Amino acid sequence: MTVHVLIFGAAASAAGSDRVMVVVGDHPTVDEISAALAEQHPALRFALSAPRLAVNGAFAGRETVVAECDEVALITLVGGG
Amino acid sequence: MMIAAIIVDGPLAPEVEERALAAHSAERAALLRSGSVGATVRFEGIVRRDESDPDHPGVARGLIALDYQTYDPMAQRELECLARSVGVRHGLESVVALHSRGRVGVGEVSFVLEIRSSRRAEAMAAMADFIDRLKRDVPIWKRPVWA
Repeated sequence: MTVHVLIFGAAASAAGSDRVMVVVGDHPTVDEISAALAEQHPALRFALSAPRLAVNGAFAGRETVVAECDEVALITLVGGG
Repeated sequence: MMIAAIIVDGPLAPEVEERALAAHSAERAALLRSGSVGATVRFEGIVRRDESDPDHPGVARGLIALDYQTYDPMAQRELECLARSVGVRHGLESVVALHSRGRVGVGEVSFVLEIRSSRRAEAMAAMADFIDRLKRDVPIWKRPVWA
């Protein structure tokens, strides 16, 4: 299935977009989506050393299974303050 | 424990801060009157003129502003969750955290953290803890606007 991943900050600047698509198997886990991001979007690799994904607006564990209608966001190192 | 964690559009000028905290003003005043507070520590994050240029590491470059981008509503929720967590961990009387969204010019305030506790040591430790975790856990990014 195709997962649209929201991206922000330096990752969005590097990709030239505020979202990217990854193609993964059905019922992918967060870990599988992270791996697909690195493989399918080399420009984002700098941001994927310790990637955390949020699913539907909350940090998700590595084994969390993502459904087609879930909102997925890549939370790279943030820099508020 | 009193908690206020709010994301506000634009710079945190004093009148903006006052408006954002209007709903908490009675509670804040009552806390001070209660006699349980022995220390207030306040931090303001201000946009600096010079920022390291990501394209040329080690080289400082002039800014005119920072654009703060938030992932909503997660950012608001995580900011509130962080304030509560730090408040409980350090046994605080109150935590007020305000963060800007959007453009904040050089010299303007983008982040306010005010911590009250019965003793100074807890408030100082909580301040460092909060800021470290803010940068790690609250989805707010800053984008430089170069001069």
